[in-house]
Amino acid sequence: MEVTLRRFELSDVDAMMAWASDPEVAAFCRWEPYESTEPLLAYLRDTVLPHPWFRAICLTGGEDARPVGAVSLAPTADTCRGELGYVVARAQWGKGVATAAVKGAVAAVFGGEVEGLERVEALVDVDNTASQRVVEKAGFRREGVLRRHYWHKGRVRDLVMYSFISSDHLAEQSRSSRNPATQLQHFSTICVPNRMCSFF
Amino acid sequence: MPRTFGCPAPEMEVEAAEVTLREFTEADTEAFFAWASDPRVVRFQRRDAYSHVDEARRYIVDKVLPHPWYRAICVAGADRPVGSISVKPADDLPLPEPEPGAPRCCRASVGYRVAHAYWGRGVATRAVRAAAEAVFAEWPWLARLEAIADVENRASQRVLEKAGFAREGVLRRYVVLKGTLRDMVMFSRVRDDREGKPPEAHGPSDGV
Repeated sequence: MEVTLRRFELSDVDAMMAWASDPEVAAFCRWEPYESTEPLLAYLRDTVLPHPWFRAICLTGGEDARPVGAVSLAPTADTCRGELGYVVARAQWGKGVATAAVKGAVAAVFGGEVEGLERVEALVDVDNTASQRVVEKAGFRREGVLRRHYWHKGRVRDLVMYSFISSDHLAEQSRSSRNPATQLQHFSTICVPNRMCSFF
Repeated sequence: MPRTFGCPAPEMEVEAAEVTLREFTEADTEAFFAWASDPRVVRFQRRDAYSHVDEARRYIVDKVLPHPWYRAICVAGADRPVGSISVKPADDLPLPEPEPGAPRCCRASVGYRVAHAYWGRGVATRAVRAAAEAVFAEWPWLARLEAIADVENRASQRVLEKAGFAREGVLRRYVVLKGTLRDMVMFSRVRDDREGKPPEAHGPSDGV
């Protein structure tokens, strides 16, 4: 599955509603499903656009170039460390989209887009086995279970901590440059407006 | 000498004096400076050793006195503190609001420092236990008390294990300490954990 990552625009709000309004998608996310586009537009404008690293996941090679999900790296108390988050519309589940997006995000943030970054971590609910498989396939290492770490929608949850560090990234680059057959996809991070998003 | 449960800890047999925790005042500046200026004590802290007592005074006034939970560690009834222990609620979420359903914070982290002359006597272990009991009692929203220790800081890892914390894993390249990236061991004690029993043993079927 080939994906590209690009910056969001306000015109992406309708495409975002596809996953932002879906209760199954929202189940393990911090937010409740959106019921209208107004608050989603506010979220896009106030949180996504000014965010230090937030990207739309778009599929290549198909008719529809609108985003099918999002991937982000949130700052933490230490500049060496960022927290990964991602969401994919249910219609695209089971096709490796999230894994490809996470791999692309890791390549981008360690490839110079986030200065001083040494560690990308992902905290995944112990019951969210699908998401655990995504980061494992993307090469993250499982470090342990953080008990009662997070208050989520009325319950205290145990989370699994995963990490991908800068030396993992260098090792992977070195592996793929030695073996052309396993070259990583080139993940382009386009900054120009997507000319195909003209449905506004 | 109070009965201890779990693994025997020989160093606790030596001068096992009572440890008490109290709030700091500016009058504790000299005592604070004694350990805050010691490179052995600050080795695994972000801060460099203080070189002037005024740095300690400023720290007490600016950081300690307004802190949500910062205590002086006193030993054997003496008023002069021999260390400090602090508990910080997680700052990525606001402290819990009274109304139900609002976002809540369920965790806090503990850190501690003891003057070198008092190492090896179980002072830190008893301070951590006392702090854990206090904050779980004072903060009903608290579900998890965590601590991180440098992978090379074996003494601190032992303190946490003896204080009933569970080792959860090594977090690679977690912080920058004095200019170098460090791997840290994550420990936690959750509200359900009881002194003396291995944390993993607890489950719904336990009659505890």
